[in-house]
Amino acid sequence: MGKFEEFYEKNYKKLIIISYAILLISLILIGIHFARTGEFFNRDISLKGGISVTLYNEKISFDELEGLLKQNFKDYDLRELKDFSTNTNVGFIIEVADITEPQLREVLRDKFDINFDNKNVYDPGLTNSSFGESFYRGLLIAVLFSFIFMSIVVFISFRTFIPSIAVISAALIDIIAALAVINLLEIKLSAAGIISFLLIIGYSIDTDILLTTRMLKRHDAPLLERLKASMKTGLTMTFAAIAALTAGYLIAIPEELKQMFLIIIIALIFDIFSTYLGNAGILIHYCKKKNIT
Amino acid sequence: MKLKKFLKFRVLFLLFWIIISIIAINPSFNTNGVAIKGIEQNSTALSAGMIFDSSTTLTNLEKITAINGKEINDLDDYSKLINNINNSEVLRIQTNKKEYVMLKTDNLGIVVGEASSSNLRKGLDLQGGTRVVLESDTKLTDQETTDIIRTISSRLNVYGLSDIKIKQSKDLFGNSFIIAEVAGASKEEVKDLISSQGKFEAKIGGETVFTGGKKDITFVCRDDGVCSGVRQCNQAEDGGYQCRFEFAIKLSPEAAKKHAQITGELDTNISSGSLGGYLSKPLDLYLDDNLVDSLQISSNLKGLETTDISISGPGFGTTRNDAVKDANKNMNKLQTVLITGSLPVKLNIVKLDAVSPALGKAFANNAVMVILAAIVAVAIVIFIRYRDLKISIPVILISSSEILIILGIAALIKYNLDLAAIAGILAAVGTGVDDQIVIADEISSGKKEHVTSFKEKIKRAFFVIMVAWATGVASMIPLFWAGAGLFTGFALTTIIGICIGVFITRPAFASIVESLEES
Repeated sequence: MGKFEEFYEKNYKKLIIISYAILLISLILIGIHFARTGEFFNRDISLKGGISVTLYNEKISFDELEGLLKQNFKDYDLRELKDFSTNTNVGFIIEVADITEPQLREVLRDKFDINFDNKNVYDPGLTNSSFGESFYRGLLIAVLFSFIFMSIVVFISFRTFIPSIAVISAALIDIIAALAVINLLEIKLSAAGIISFLLIIGYSIDTDILLTTRMLKRHDAPLLERLKASMKTGLTMTFAAIAALTAGYLIAIPEELKQMFLIIIIALIFDIFSTYLGNAGILIHYCKKKNIT
Repeated sequence: MKLKKFLKFRVLFLLFWIIISIIAINPSFNTNGVAIKGIEQNSTALSAGMIFDSSTTLTNLEKITAINGKEINDLDDYSKLINNINNSEVLRIQTNKKEYVMLKTDNLGIVVGEASSSNLRKGLDLQGGTRVVLESDTKLTDQETTDIIRTISSRLNVYGLSDIKIKQSKDLFGNSFIIAEVAGASKEEVKDLISSQGKFEAKIGGETVFTGGKKDITFVCRDDGVCSGVRQCNQAEDGGYQCRFEFAIKLSPEAAKKHAQITGELDTNISSGSLGGYLSKPLDLYLDDNLVDSLQISSNLKGLETTDISISGPGFGTTRNDAVKDANKNMNKLQTVLITGSLPVKLNIVKLDAVSPALGKAFANNAVMVILAAIVAVAIVIFIRYRDLKISIPVILISSSEILIILGIAALIKYNLDLAAIAGILAAVGTGVDDQIVIADEISSGKKEHVTSFKEKIKRAFFVIMVAWATGVASMIPLFWAGAGLFTGFALTTIIGICIGVFITRPAFASIVESLEES
């Protein structure tokens, strides 16, 4: 027996505990966030309603504008807008939740000289707050259904209770842990961000499916050797995905894409733990009980 | 021997799809000239015989190549040339199909755009434009929805915007929305054109004489300086300017009869001084219940069945130029609603976003870079893991062909590629690479054992792949109902992508790697 097999033989129960400890800690972190803010995570204006203004003005300083917004609004976001060919600042994207456009206009007018009627200078967009709210609830329900559909497919495919639950809970750990990290990074989730959770559901369990299939349905090598081989394949898959997404994250300009890539990267990192600690541990335990070698 | 044939078939099937995709995308390197993206109704260009066929693919759009013998290479050339030609001068417009001759007017009614280098349609966030999500206060019937979509698209068309997509969508809570995406237009124009109900009424003393739309109004003069335009401007007391626009319309016989009947009952107001005087009550023009203008009716029209009516209204501005512009804008809007009629219900804008064309272009270029970078990153990881070009090169080729086929299908079904679609493509390619790694490992592990047949190895790999495929598709399905329909495109691309992977590219990959390993 090699070192790898020895390690798993000895420690698989501990590994299960570590993986579920990650879930527990993440749930506590999200609970703390909920107690503090009344929300499980922060949403941007596309999910709660508000206005978004693109202001083309290279003379205004970021700090000055930030100070003004801080003074007047509780829930705002300020980003610089760059000219990508020269990488110079050409203006700002201001997002403020729960106010109307004239309110922002009034605040800006006091301090800056802006031609509000020229759309090439001041370009407002809006999301109605009741629309934002129902949009948000709709997407959450989509995530829930996506998870349920995925679970059904997993149950139909493996037709055994414990291994199926192990796969599904690995996906749950990825989602919850990614959400906890998003909160720690103080990221405001956009609609695209929520969509990336759907991708995690469809994407992160590939490695779990591979692992479960190899361990339960193959008998060409001893159990732990099958685990090792499957891990080699699965880690290559995960690292290829992380590499692709990281390259994408570094190069992408649109905020929506960046956020999607970042969330999936975080979830994939947790997926290594949930798959090869939690799911692998549970499968070893299950196989031992069922005398699968 | 049979197996060998089967292998060949799989690779041929992939090649078949690659060829179909290249034909569908139809990349072309000759992008000289400007593409005709629309011809306005009742326009000079239409009378000169120019037609716009919206069903043509992008690369087959008619292109203007020269005007009056001068070559046109891009939009800049086009607008410079057109602006340098005076009204009423002869214009010879040469396209790649034929030559059209017309007299220059203020607005020819030709909507032009950059000539496309492929049939790939860029969505709003990759080319710039405005998206509006509309919701009504009341529940809409199917008939109302159809009417709304028709009226909005014809309004945008009449206004000169042709690159539009309007669809209805429902969410999980039973709310229904109308989503309008207009490429190359600014928020203000779109907002004005589609959020206002456009209920036009002409009343005398509170009684309606005629309303907007084809039933009462048979003709509206536009783009013709003889019967429409900004007529006079004055400086007001506060230093600002006021201009008046005026344009002619023709009433239907029924509306004319009504006009005669109502004016017949009015008194003549002689004291107003002018020749013959005016009738005792004016003709009040209302747009969405706001009074636009009140017109005195000349007393000689009393009881007369006239079909020729002149409509007018004001425009304001701090400078004379601004006032002219404002009057022109108001005139254009009024003409548009008079032609198209009103929406059956009032709609509220619940979401409004726009991306400037410059940003859209930057995003589009960036999206290409993101996809390339992702492929390179995958290639590096695959090479580090296998150190074998026999596996690394097929992975890269298969992944690239997968992207090509996704794009090909997008071009075939005329789907607009947007940022979400780019994310979907990346996700699909990501799962694709995953599956190829599973296949590659399965084949190389089988090689050591020499026990299981190639068929068996592939079958094993494909169980994993099929389950992963099914969960991938299942996880995307809820998006067809949620998110007000804004993410159906994303869900569709992702599903198409992973289906192409499972049914077209991966079987070919298995064959290629196997035959490379054997040799």
